[in-house]
Amino acid sequence: MNVLRPGSVREALGMLADEPTAIPLAGGTDLLVHWPANHAGRDATYLDLGRPGELRAHHWTDKALVLGGTTTYWDVIRDPRSARDLPLLVDAARQVGSVQIQARGTWAGNIANGSPAADGVPVLMAYDAVVVVQSERGVEEILLSEFYLGYKDMRLAGDQLIREIRVPLAARTGQRFEKVGSRRAQAIAKVGLATSHSEDGWRVVAASLAPTVRRCPSVEALFDSDGAAGSVEDVEAALAADVSPIDDIRSTAEYRLRVAARLLFFGNA
Amino acid sequence: MHPEELLRKQAETAPDPGAAEALAPHDLSRLGRRSRRVDGHRKSTGSEIYTDDIVLPGMLHGKILRSPHPHARIVAIDTSDAEAIPGVQSVITGRDMPLAYGIIPWTRDEHALAFDKVRFVGDAVAAVAAVDEDTANEALTRIRVEYEILPPLFEPEEALEASGNPIHEAKKEGRNGNITKHVHLEFGDVDEAMAGSDVTVEGEYYFHGTTHTPIEPHCAVARRNVNGLLEVWSSTQVPHYLQRELARVLDLDVAEVRVVQPAVGGAFGGKSEPFDLEFAVALLAMRTGRPVKILYTREELFYSHRGRHPMDMSYRVGATADGRIRAVDGKLLLDGGAYASFGLVTAYYSGQLLMAPYDVETYRFDATRVYTNKPPCGPKRGHGSVQPRFGFEVSLDKLAEKLGIDPIELRRRNFMGLGRTVNEFRVQSNGFMECLDKVEHASDWKNRYGRLPRGHGLGVAGSCYISGTNYPIYPNDMPQASAQVQIERSGRVTVLHGASEIGQGSDSTMAYIACEELGVPVEYVRVVSADTDLTPVDLGAYSSRETLMVGNAVMMACRELGTKVRASVATATGVGAEQVRLANGWALAGGERMPIARAFMLAEAEHGTLGAVGHYNTPKEGVHGDYRGGTIGASPAYSFTAHVAEVEVDEHTGFVNVRKIWVAHDCGRALNPMLVEGQMEGSAYMGFAEAVMEHQRVKRGTPEGGLHDAPSLLDYRIPTSLDCPEFIPLIVEANDPEGPYGAKEAGEGPLHPSLPAIANAIFDAVGVRIDRLPFTPDRVWRALQAARADAAPESESG
Repeated sequence: MNVLRPGSVREALGMLADEPTAIPLAGGTDLLVHWPANHAGRDATYLDLGRPGELRAHHWTDKALVLGGTTTYWDVIRDPRSARDLPLLVDAARQVGSVQIQARGTWAGNIANGSPAADGVPVLMAYDAVVVVQSERGVEEILLSEFYLGYKDMRLAGDQLIREIRVPLAARTGQRFEKVGSRRAQAIAKVGLATSHSEDGWRVVAASLAPTVRRCPSVEALFDSDGAAGSVEDVEAALAADVSPIDDIRSTAEYRLRVAARLLFFGNA
Repeated sequence: MHPEELLRKQAETAPDPGAAEALAPHDLSRLGRRSRRVDGHRKSTGSEIYTDDIVLPGMLHGKILRSPHPHARIVAIDTSDAEAIPGVQSVITGRDMPLAYGIIPWTRDEHALAFDKVRFVGDAVAAVAAVDEDTANEALTRIRVEYEILPPLFEPEEALEASGNPIHEAKKEGRNGNITKHVHLEFGDVDEAMAGSDVTVEGEYYFHGTTHTPIEPHCAVARRNVNGLLEVWSSTQVPHYLQRELARVLDLDVAEVRVVQPAVGGAFGGKSEPFDLEFAVALLAMRTGRPVKILYTREELFYSHRGRHPMDMSYRVGATADGRIRAVDGKLLLDGGAYASFGLVTAYYSGQLLMAPYDVETYRFDATRVYTNKPPCGPKRGHGSVQPRFGFEVSLDKLAEKLGIDPIELRRRNFMGLGRTVNEFRVQSNGFMECLDKVEHASDWKNRYGRLPRGHGLGVAGSCYISGTNYPIYPNDMPQASAQVQIERSGRVTVLHGASEIGQGSDSTMAYIACEELGVPVEYVRVVSADTDLTPVDLGAYSSRETLMVGNAVMMACRELGTKVRASVATATGVGAEQVRLANGWALAGGERMPIARAFMLAEAEHGTLGAVGHYNTPKEGVHGDYRGGTIGASPAYSFTAHVAEVEVDEHTGFVNVRKIWVAHDCGRALNPMLVEGQMEGSAYMGFAEAVMEHQRVKRGTPEGGLHDAPSLLDYRIPTSLDCPEFIPLIVEANDPEGPYGAKEAGEGPLHPSLPAIANAIFDAVGVRIDRLPFTPDRVWRALQAARADAAPESESG
């Protein structure tokens, strides 16, 4: 395996411009999952983001929390302001793997890995997070809810790096994160749901129910129309229009849809 | 150091026993106390030596090539490219070890490396030794195997039909080679008793298959030393059988094979027979002249399996109107996977171990174990009897419901007490009634069963298990267990025994027995175990045999020495030998006391070097029936268990939250209650996980048929500490005359009622019977939906 070790973001972007197939590497937690069987991955080139210190720090502005490109889950858990102002971030971070994974895994890595079962992405999306990507060509800002194009397919070119993630602060009247896993820790979501409500209306985000983590516009419209849905069947019908769950080793499509609808109805009614 | 200096020092540090006369005998005993394990400090600090910690000079690393096909004939293997890779020292295939082996001498159907056929995805085909793991892995990719694909058999029902391509060739003309064993036994006239019953219940039950998931994967290291001795260190629970099979397959004199079992990081039955890696490291070490190590990956562990058999079971139970069991009729189909393993025994156990603690008038079972092209099943904690216990104890719950009798009361009415089971096993101690009393009281059953709000429920189940088996795996008249004890004049006692410490605490138990008999503090005891060169024979850690069998052997050896020591102390102090006690680092004689080392010196001066051997052999007369198969499952002593489980069922998600489990277990004398509770807890949690989470299964269809569907600890769901219910252990001590101090087993019995107790609690919670495991959310949710759909038309019409 070939590893590039930039000392700064500028150097990193230069390397990516020269070698856009290089894979940015932060915590490495997704890479290692498949490493023993990932023979092709051994010949790949990796861009180690461990050295550029300016990527790691997160900071608060009066309008948003700004996560760096290598800010970890643990960085957010440890910041007392997170639980107060953006509590779903902490709820979700606590659900990621184990403490060891939380200490190494990064928010940007969770976005770039593109797993439909991601734990960090749903809450970011429910908070209207904006992904700031950078390359030598310039800086681009993309709403996270518009970032994914399909399964593991996203608006991130080979020369682009996730520079930061901006999570807007807002007066939220309701917010919730639910993960149904096969067990209470160290599990991958069978169903993941993040919801929030503010003056901009409802945000309903589903994980493990479609090829990407995605917002559920029909459910949002239903919730927005009368504040709360009339019946669980209404929610299930709306959700069915928004998502496309599948049967796999962790659960069945029927179970996922059914349980997600109930969690939405009974959790937010 | 002069002896007197040593004694002075020891007297300063030994605990003061007080005035000996003032102490009641039990104050001097160290049994029944909550004591630390002899290996506890090493294990909790990470300094214990496991097989993978062994690194020898010049050691090579081995890897095993495994079949990607569930069923295929091997046409040709070309290893030349692999051998040409720099760093590859040796490549071996099945042709190098053509002799079949198997843990049960009557069903030897495995080869160290596949000889002519592969029978499951993961079957070993070739092995490589190289300078490092990467080189060995690279070599595996260069071995070319030409296969002739055969149609795979995944469903046990299909295997019952004789086919053109049986998984194993039939041993006799006209037989179906897909059948490992068929057992049909009947005790009394079942049909007549069933016909005469006032009420019958029947059901079809399914157990889904689970694997052991020890923390430590299998690992073996071998070297041939300059004298020609083959030494194998292995993460095994049967060093003695491994030594014999290595010699047989490698065509060596068994006296030239030494097997050493380092610390084992969990086994649960998954390491109780020889495995491909042990033969492979041995032959590779012999070929290369260098030590070789193989460590399974986690994925290999899921394929090597030997876990609990999936079983299709049907039970019909007939009873009188007042709930007395008149007839039990069981039919079982065991899905054995690709090889026999212990399957012959499993088939018997699936029927034979069900007939206590109840007094059953007549019993019949018909069990068939078949081969399928899946990872081989074998013994897992509670071998063969966990699945039928599930079906039977749920049947009893249905019977209680039908008769309107409280389920605990129903079990009391059928209590067998002491004597013979219907299949003629001899029971000499039985604390099952006390177990029922304890769980009933602790769970507040009388006030809560049937009365909790919808979604909440309680369930009960009982069981029985063996403390070792009366007959060894290969027929012989020699002792099943043996020990040698040496006393050194410093006060140190060395216990050499063959028992396999696999985490259950056998080394500690043997140390406690030495302390009890010889009066030394536990720090003075050195335990040397499971090394075929150094320790006398024991057959291994299976069937819950170690405490009873090896414990008796250690006790026998220690008692011989204790008698000598007491006699010498008596002579020196002028009191009668019967007044001398050895306890807590002291010899107490009348009003006098001396450090135990002085007592040992007196005895050594009088009797010469202090050493003794002990052994245990099982009773053979009058302990089982004379019918064919009547010896299989017969044990010197039986343990008994009762569980009450409390569950909460979420009807929206189908999630079964097991909130609390009360476990009462009759282990006879609890030599160390803390170890007993640990075994009860581990058993109950393993059973809980099998009921609601775990599932070992392979994919169907082409091309992925036969692949394990989740060979990782992420998706093969074992519970985390957050998932485990609250656990209440309740020890019951019905001492058995066969056990050391009355002790029986605790390592496997407490698992059995876990599954039916949870099933019965689900029924109490939501009124739905789910007779197929596991109780995963989607299955439970579907069952609730189906029950609602069934109920709906009635409510509309009514």
